[in-house]
Amino acid sequence: MIKVKIFGVVSLKTNVSEFETNVKNVDELLGIIPGISRKEAKDLVLLVNGKAVRNSYRFKDGDEVVMLSPAGGG
Amino acid sequence: MATKYGGYMGKVLLIDLLKKESREYPFSDEERELYIGGKMMAAKILKDNLTGKEKPFSDDNLLVITTGPLTGSGAPSSSRFNISTLSPQTGYLTSSNCGGNFGYYLKKAGLDALILKGHLERPTWIEINNDQIVFHEADDIWGMKTTEVQTAIDDKLRLKNGRVRKNGKICIGPAGENQVLYSCIVSNDRVSGRGGTGAIMGYMKIKAIAVSGNKEVKVVNKEKMVKLTKKWFKYLRKHPLTGSQLPKLGTAGLVSAMQMKSILATKNYKYGQYEDFEAVNGETLAKEYNIVNKGCLTCPIKCARTVSVEGKIVKGPELETLVLLGSGILNNDLKAILKWNYELDELGMDTISTANTISYAMEANEKGLWDNGLEFKKTDNLSKVFEDIAYKRGIGEELALGSKRLSEKYGGKEFAIHAKGMELAAYEPRKAVGLGLGYAVSNRGGCHLNGGYLVILEGLGLAINPTTYHGKADLTMLFQDLMEMISASGQCLFTSYAFFPSPLMNHPNSWYTRLANKVLPYCGFAVRLINKYPRIAHLHLPVFHHTKAFEYVTGMKMKFGDYVRCGERGYNLEREVNRLFGVNANKDALPKRLVECLQDAADDSSKVPLDKLKKIYYHARSWDENGLPKAKLLRKLKIGE
Repeated sequence: MIKVKIFGVVSLKTNVSEFETNVKNVDELLGIIPGISRKEAKDLVLLVNGKAVRNSYRFKDGDEVVMLSPAGGG
Repeated sequence: MATKYGGYMGKVLLIDLLKKESREYPFSDEERELYIGGKMMAAKILKDNLTGKEKPFSDDNLLVITTGPLTGSGAPSSSRFNISTLSPQTGYLTSSNCGGNFGYYLKKAGLDALILKGHLERPTWIEINNDQIVFHEADDIWGMKTTEVQTAIDDKLRLKNGRVRKNGKICIGPAGENQVLYSCIVSNDRVSGRGGTGAIMGYMKIKAIAVSGNKEVKVVNKEKMVKLTKKWFKYLRKHPLTGSQLPKLGTAGLVSAMQMKSILATKNYKYGQYEDFEAVNGETLAKEYNIVNKGCLTCPIKCARTVSVEGKIVKGPELETLVLLGSGILNNDLKAILKWNYELDELGMDTISTANTISYAMEANEKGLWDNGLEFKKTDNLSKVFEDIAYKRGIGEELALGSKRLSEKYGGKEFAIHAKGMELAAYEPRKAVGLGLGYAVSNRGGCHLNGGYLVILEGLGLAINPTTYHGKADLTMLFQDLMEMISASGQCLFTSYAFFPSPLMNHPNSWYTRLANKVLPYCGFAVRLINKYPRIAHLHLPVFHHTKAFEYVTGMKMKFGDYVRCGERGYNLEREVNRLFGVNANKDALPKRLVECLQDAADDSSKVPLDKLKKIYYHARSWDENGLPKAKLLRKLKIGE
């Protein structure tokens, strides 16, 4: 089981800021984000336990995944 | 002095407050070509009038309010004006940029700039209507907070038919009247926040200035400008930062990204992450509190939030306020931040310096250096503390001095988070070291924007290595020069974010974005080439509409290389003003916490390698090892001729 958190503009679209899932890898995860397509999900910054990972990464039980849109301007 | 160029009204007005007289201040077309407007024009005026012996609170200091040639031209986000003076907070030049409509109305009154000198004996507000200047007694409005005073002046400007004469205003609140060192100037609900400009207006005994008029800004090539403006608006509305993130989440939308990148100032910059950040981030603000997003005149970005505080619809907090009064003091009560933001604007106090002074005081108390009653997480008394600062009562009298002066008195200089006496913005720089350099060398002190805002490459918009020193100095120089020129033109700096091509922002995981992230730190040589030979960039970039707009409005030639060169001139000119007041490499400093203590004990690179960065930066800028522009550079830039 992994925990997925969504931040940034995309979180207004998904209407879900957090969920848990049993997917095994990044590719599977990209297909199940509520409210957005796989194509849109592919364009989010993805961090696992605070670190950037490659698409080939296989999740471990307890991983915390963060997905967010790039941002700027403050 | 009349001008042949479009965009300018051709008149700079100097008001001598001691004599209550005004006269035109000479500013020629040759000077317009070199110093453009805004903060650069102001720096030129200050350079020509200051010797280095003046004190901020003296009749020799000037308050210089300037517009840019694009102010009021209809270009996107072009309602900006600038206020520069010798800062009571830093002792150096400060320039503070503001939105709202004052700049637009200053030009309607036929003025490119307004210079105030001296002081008045009695509280006064000044009315400027076209060529007419009237000094009004302000005993009845002295003491009022910023919304109340602006409403009161509107009432005084009512016409016979009951309608208020269209006008733009600036004013100070109680903090400015009492010369709190980080008090600000307010215009509508926008704020010229940094460097203590409000205190100078308070010293001058000016409560407010209202300007109005019926003059028009001349645009040289109107047809082309209209066409370009339409295209530019469309471009900004489509761009992921200016068309999506900023309108939808405002600047507050950065909190989560900052948390992820460990650059969220937490507990007085001791940490870069805050466990309760979700309680005080932009998403929560948007979902639970934002009523509608709002923008300045002619702005398609509309980054401002509006929220309800005690039944009133008021401006919501920007990122800096949200972070520094949130994670900065370990507070997770967003509703309280909305209220404090409103209260600080009403009192006329810079939220950044206020929050950082409070967090310094909390840490000094925690460490037993100063028994002041302020504690992290304990926030129920802060509204009263803010009032006490504005009125210089009790502990507020000391807090009104800011963190630098307090640390000199009580100790704890290593955690007094300022540069040149001005408190830093909300980005913790140990995991964005280019921004750390920017904070240190910034002409006005601890400012992210005047510092070049490299953090946008170091983890927010793009993701170059945040802790390497490679390329950071050169890119900082380029961004500082570009932003200097955008600001001098009269436009909002947020228009510069669209400089980053949309595909890079939209597709952060694509091969080309990854490549850009890898290559950018090694592009320093390209920056230096453009800097040395601006003619090689003698073109208009398709993602940078500013140069064409500048040409269409003013009639001056302005390709990208010229634009950067003008920005460079402005940055160096400001440095030259600061040289008069003793700036040097030793003053380009950060507190020990940021340059000697690792943010992450397991990561040796998680501190700002400031000495190394400064050395490269000075070399890139052609400054000497003492951090001052060389004579050859000044000749090249035509400064001091």
